[in-house]
Amino acid sequence: MIENLIAAFHMTATLEVFFAVCLGSFAGIIFGAIPGLTYSMALALMLPFTFTMEPATGISLLLATYIGGMTGGSISAILIGIPGTPSAAATVADGYALAKKGEASIALGAAVIVSTIGGLISLIIMILLVDFISKFAIKFGPAEIFMLVLFGFSTICGLAERSLFRGLVAGVLGLMLMTIGIDELEGVQRFTFGNVQMLQGVNLLVAMIGLFAVPHILEVFLQRINKEDKVNFDVGEVKTTLPGFQFIKKYFNLVLRCTGLGTSIGAIPGSGGPIAAFLAYSHAKNSEKDPKEKDTFGKGNIAGVVAPEAANNAVTGGAMVPLLSLGIPGDPATAIILGGLLIHGIVPGPMLFIENAPAVYSIYFAIVAAYIVVFIFQVNFIKYIVKILKVQPHHLACAILIMVVVGSYVIRNSFLDIYIMILMGLFGYFLNRIKIPITPVVLGLVLGEAIESNYRTAMSLSSGEISIFFSSIVSVLFFLLIILTIALQVKKRILEIRKQKNQFDKGAA
Amino acid sequence: MKIVKKISSILVAMSLLLGSNSFAADKFPSKYVEMTVLFGGTAKSVGQLVAKGLEKNLGATVVPVSRPGGGGAVGYKYIQSRPASGYDIVWNSNSVSTTFHGGKVPFNFKTFAPIAAMSIEVPVLAVKAGSFKDINELAAYAKKNPGKLKVGISGKGAFTHLTSAIIFDALGVKVNYISYGKGKAPTELLAGRIDAAVQWPGQFRSFDKAGQLKMLAATSPKRIASDPGVPTMQELGYKKVDVTMWRGLAAKKGTPKDHIKAIEAAAKTYASSPEFIAASKKIGFEINYLDSKAFGKKIAADDKKIGQLMKNLGLKK
Repeated sequence: MIENLIAAFHMTATLEVFFAVCLGSFAGIIFGAIPGLTYSMALALMLPFTFTMEPATGISLLLATYIGGMTGGSISAILIGIPGTPSAAATVADGYALAKKGEASIALGAAVIVSTIGGLISLIIMILLVDFISKFAIKFGPAEIFMLVLFGFSTICGLAERSLFRGLVAGVLGLMLMTIGIDELEGVQRFTFGNVQMLQGVNLLVAMIGLFAVPHILEVFLQRINKEDKVNFDVGEVKTTLPGFQFIKKYFNLVLRCTGLGTSIGAIPGSGGPIAAFLAYSHAKNSEKDPKEKDTFGKGNIAGVVAPEAANNAVTGGAMVPLLSLGIPGDPATAIILGGLLIHGIVPGPMLFIENAPAVYSIYFAIVAAYIVVFIFQVNFIKYIVKILKVQPHHLACAILIMVVVGSYVIRNSFLDIYIMILMGLFGYFLNRIKIPITPVVLGLVLGEAIESNYRTAMSLSSGEISIFFSSIVSVLFFLLIILTIALQVKKRILEIRKQKNQFDKGAA
Repeated sequence: MKIVKKISSILVAMSLLLGSNSFAADKFPSKYVEMTVLFGGTAKSVGQLVAKGLEKNLGATVVPVSRPGGGGAVGYKYIQSRPASGYDIVWNSNSVSTTFHGGKVPFNFKTFAPIAAMSIEVPVLAVKAGSFKDINELAAYAKKNPGKLKVGISGKGAFTHLTSAIIFDALGVKVNYISYGKGKAPTELLAGRIDAAVQWPGQFRSFDKAGQLKMLAATSPKRIASDPGVPTMQELGYKKVDVTMWRGLAAKKGTPKDHIKAIEAAAKTYASSPEFIAASKKIGFEINYLDSKAFGKKIAADDKKIGQLMKNLGLKK
């Protein structure tokens, strides 16, 4: 172990690796922060350059890009209310509300700090427990993943704001959109209307860009036309204070819990960042005892930024488990990293730890280095990036408009995606007007494919017996959690209705 | 009126620009070549390498551009809609046949002009270590319990499905196919949720070495260079089994011959380069260079086979 560590240290403690980590972190943050550019894209662009590099350098570049991107996604989520990556979608509600209140730097600072803590702790958990976690991950078959995803859906209750009904409508809309395109399991075409282009379906990122960005742009332009912005827009002083030690102390417990959650979900192949972030958000909300504090969720509670950001970065550590020990990428980003590993002759799987231990340790070192660099970059970056709030909203909207059009095209090099983005945007604007929340639509899009394919695979494994969903402790446990979430929600709503009725009766009397 | 004049003058200027571009192209290539990549995973990794390799020998930038979706259909459709100039080429595979016979695109392999075959990947059949000793034991079990053996595939009509069908037809047994999406075969086998799976050897190799999974047979006529310990189906007595996934370069039909020749020559040089050989060992594919004529024959022969097979499986549309 020790000589492996030393060998790995020698591989990574070079100037080239240092530059690679800096470059990767920087590119990742930028791509993650700009809505429409994703860190998967940054990774795809970086990959060809790593072909000619030393293995340690090339892999450090990829890992740093991945980590920078995962952290950077929160920047645009907080500042302009458009998530830079799907994993940051849960951060929008409270992060953007905080920014509107003039607390953007606090929210950004909190996101950076907990991201780093979450990411590093998850890495430590992963290093110590890789054997155990990979055995645990194997236990997650289609039935268990289905139950986990279904549990993820129960977070709609928390995201639905005022009306559970509207939240559910939104969730189902997301699910329906996800069925467009080709069905991988049966090879059947759905809602493609004989159009070959439509076979590619609705891409999650394209839809997300449209749903969040276009309504925002329209709102800003409409305000401009109606001359409302002149009245409302007051730059004032943009604060650049960062959260202090007290803050860390207060939320450390929550960060730890969300890190645990993120690491375990990251380790399960095929789930990933968005589920972890949404579950962490609803956990933070549900575990808040003080009813007054609980009420501020969605209106700018810092815990609503802390929880999802800690969890989605903890996914990076967790995701290394199936990637390195099983060779299974959890999402498109880790799939590109897998390609990079293979080209450098590092073949993931159980033998990697036996045959090529120094390579594994050098990966750990690279991740740690990347987190440190990302942290330093971001903390210094906040001062400047919050200045973006001083830009007139309609100027900013023009810039966003360009980025989202280009961004939605480059995801799959498809013009159809631009039209889909615009359509989804108009749809999102319409939903806003009829007060249907957007976030559950994204949740439906994120989880739709997983919930459908895992359900069907499980049913075909059991030859149509529904009992497969109750045949393991894990899936039963998730089922009970779902029941509990729904029961609590129903109880809460009934109490609310009673309260309103009482008030009404009193008023009548 | 002024605006109309302005717009028309801009249009004229643009058409002149575009026109001059196509006239200037007497020496190929006079600008960058765009290579459409249809899939992620190894297809993309190898595609990116090939693009870099071509660049060196062709004297022009070759840009690999991902156009995924519909099992390759989206990318083929794109190439079909472009002019036959040689500036739009596709990193293609057997998917040219599966997309047509599966009813995803209304045109077949004849829409494209073959340039050169570069590589093949050989699917292998694997089981959990200790479950079945060899292919005969597996066949005996499946014969005794028809429809009981759970075989993992990526999806109905996917290449792994077709390969599995060829293997189990040769064994003369009926099995239960489980579609589980992409790339989860090793874990599903380890956990014992499926009994056998057909996938690329790269996914199984590390587990095979660690003694957790066992690769029973490869479907190529010759053993795989990266996994010489795995016998072929033909060696095991199933003479008819010969399925491999080829990858190569193609352009739209009607592309000028000398343009195809230029790319073909660059591909040939790269196919025998030390970089490509080293990459084949690391990523786990076989180099199999064929010139445009031989490649065309290979595509046609494979298309016939795949069409018949998909018809038998009820997947032909």
